Amino acid sequence: MLFGCIYVPDFPVQAALRLESKAQPVALFDGPDSLLKIVASNKPARRAGVSIGMTKLQAEACGVSLRKRVQEHEDSAQIALLDCAYTFSPRLESTVPGTLVTNLTGTERLLGMGETVGLKMAALCRSTGFEVNIGIAANPDTAICAARGFAGITIIAPGEEGKRLGSLPIRVLEPASEIMDVLDAWGIRTFKHLAVLPSVALTERLGQYGLHLQRLAQGAIERELVPAELPTAFQERTELEETVELLEPLAFILNRLLEQLMDRLVDRSLATDHIELVLSLEVHPDHDVKAATPAASTTALHERTIKLPVPTQDAKVLLRLLQLDLAAHPPAAPVKAITITAIPARLRLTQTGLFQPLSPEPALLEITMARIRAVVGEQDTAGRSRVGFPTVLDSHRPDCFHVAAQGIQPKTTSQPSSCLALRLFRPALPARVELSAEQAPVWMAFQRRKARVVDASGPWRGGGSWWDATGDWLRDEWDVHINVDGAPGLYRIFRDLRTGQWFVEGMYD
Amino acid sequence: MPSIAIIRSQVEARIPGALSVYQRPEQEVFSTGIPALDTQIGGIPKSALTQICAAPAISSGKTTLLTSLLAQVTQAEQHCAVVDASDSFSPASAAAMNVCLSRLLWVRCSSSSRLKPVEQAFKAADVLVQNGGFGIIAIDLGNIEETQIRKIPLTTWFRFARVVEKTPTALVVLMAYPAAQSCAALTLHVGQSNPHWTGTAKSSHTQILSDVQFDFEIGRTRTRKPVQNANARFTARPRWA
Repeated sequence: MLFGCIYVPDFPVQAALRLESKAQPVALFDGPDSLLKIVASNKPARRAGVSIGMTKLQAEACGVSLRKRVQEHEDSAQIALLDCAYTFSPRLESTVPGTLVTNLTGTERLLGMGETVGLKMAALCRSTGFEVNIGIAANPDTAICAARGFAGITIIAPGEEGKRLGSLPIRVLEPASEIMDVLDAWGIRTFKHLAVLPSVALTERLGQYGLHLQRLAQGAIERELVPAELPTAFQERTELEETVELLEPLAFILNRLLEQLMDRLVDRSLATDHIELVLSLEVHPDHDVKAATPAASTTALHERTIKLPVPTQDAKVLLRLLQLDLAAHPPAAPVKAITITAIPARLRLTQTGLFQPLSPEPALLEITMARIRAVVGEQDTAGRSRVGFPTVLDSHRPDCFHVAAQGIQPKTTSQPSSCLALRLFRPALPARVELSAEQAPVWMAFQRRKARVVDASGPWRGGGSWWDATGDWLRDEWDVHINVDGAPGLYRIFRDLRTGQWFVEGMYD
Repeated sequence: MPSIAIIRSQVEARIPGALSVYQRPEQEVFSTGIPALDTQIGGIPKSALTQICAAPAISSGKTTLLTSLLAQVTQAEQHCAVVDASDSFSPASAAAMNVCLSRLLWVRCSSSSRLKPVEQAFKAADVLVQNGGFGIIAIDLGNIEETQIRKIPLTTWFRFARVVEKTPTALVVLMAYPAAQSCAALTLHVGQSNPHWTGTAKSSHTQILSDVQFDFEIGRTRTRKPVQNANARFTARPRWA
């Protein structure tokens, strides 16, 4: 058996600093507002004098960057680590936050032996934003101790567990504080000292827990991994220390969250075609000073959804779409927290050909359409999109169409046919029409023009939706030939039989 | 005394092509699908600007010509875009002419926006040209008054012509007046129509429009040798004829 352990030193700090420089001294504080204390720090911060348990004020004097501990950061970081580990083996255990163990048995031919697989694991974790220690051993607990105790990549061959772990301090085992005190009083400082103690005597004094610690120090515990369940939801959330009012700084945070999401999707060979953005807004209701009501701020939500025609793994495309969408629909108040959820989808792989006809890149086209929507608007008064691919609906109603973001490929192709095209007026132009004794148009006037009807064809009656009180239509259509400025104009006019009004629908052009 | 051949070789060694005539590569074209028109103009040139000019209120055949062109290109599995400044494009009419609507991006400019429809059309066309990947980008300014067309600065046309020059896209503009001037590789004037009716005029119900003949004139072309005052016509039949 072969197990690999991924251990993230100073996990809370690394979770807070994902995709940021790890060299900066950072400490995290938490607790009630009256007593904020340092709960985690990184090495540069410890070097600057920060220690766990310090008050926030004391830590501020050390000149380090202080941040509030956010549980969501640690949760999402642990999920990202799980995704990383999953690429090496599906059999994995999420031991504690910041520590994962994977069963690498049988992957030697695929991933390589010993240090090779360790280097791959470290590189993948680094690309996800974590500096990690890797331990590889024949049992899970030895791998955990090796990763926690030694920096970098440590490989322990079977049978050498006790010897290799011997130099590690007892605190690596993280024993209960009273046990630690007892061992300290006995002068037991390292794994080696604990491993050589007589087992029976140790059990008599420290119980089964003491024996368990000794077996851990010997590297002799064989156990099965507790399988971790991979999260099916791809969600990233962050709460901001200061509210954000402008879209530009908001874009920086969105970019970070999207990159994290895309990294996780890439690790699972997935993509997304559906992004849900929820912005928690800080809304301050009007405060009545005279009534002396306490100042209260309520949080409202601003929700936006982005749908793409094809799944993508490109965070930049999604960021641009979100930016355009937020520019068109800006939040009404400063943003306090951001949640982005990606609905996973299978990546669509298509082989492009040398002789394939010209077509726009689907992801770029989506951005292009969003940019054009920002110029021409989103929808007309009938609720139809202003930008997209038109589809003629299966209806006899005139000018009945739908505009979709994605074109629906026809099942069959047909030869182009050259026939007379109709040019529409939207909405139809009101007209005045004089009728002959045979009820045929003889004169018509519209748009400050009056012309005699040279030829007319009609009436062609059409109607529908008579069962629907609001959507019913009934009309008589005519094709008329008039002379406009001495040149022929062929128009389609109609009379709405419900109101008796005449309209010019379009021109044969 | 060196001979001319020696001087020529010495010059060409230092400045290649200095003494040879530049051969412009033959321009690729899209067929309009109207044989009478293709015979005269060869087709709509790719990587260039084409302007189709006609008066707004008369039946001139400009929409028939554009829709026929879109049908040809979309049926060849290429994507096209129509920037419709006056929202006058009819999907049903285009579908009847076998335009593949799933490959036709339609931009419907709005009259209620803070920008004028012409400004919206040019902004949208700019974005589309930058995106690339379209066989035809058509800007339909057919219903826009000539006074507004004349206000479009020549630099705008020049910029569009230069941008599409490096792409395989044909930029086609329908408008009332040939505003692009020398920036256009092809200028086509479509004008008078001659409608034919069948049946008796006495009873309007028995009379139907059978076909319409449209006259066109080539104003300017770079693809072929200019044909002065070449009048020609093409015929279009309505769906029911």
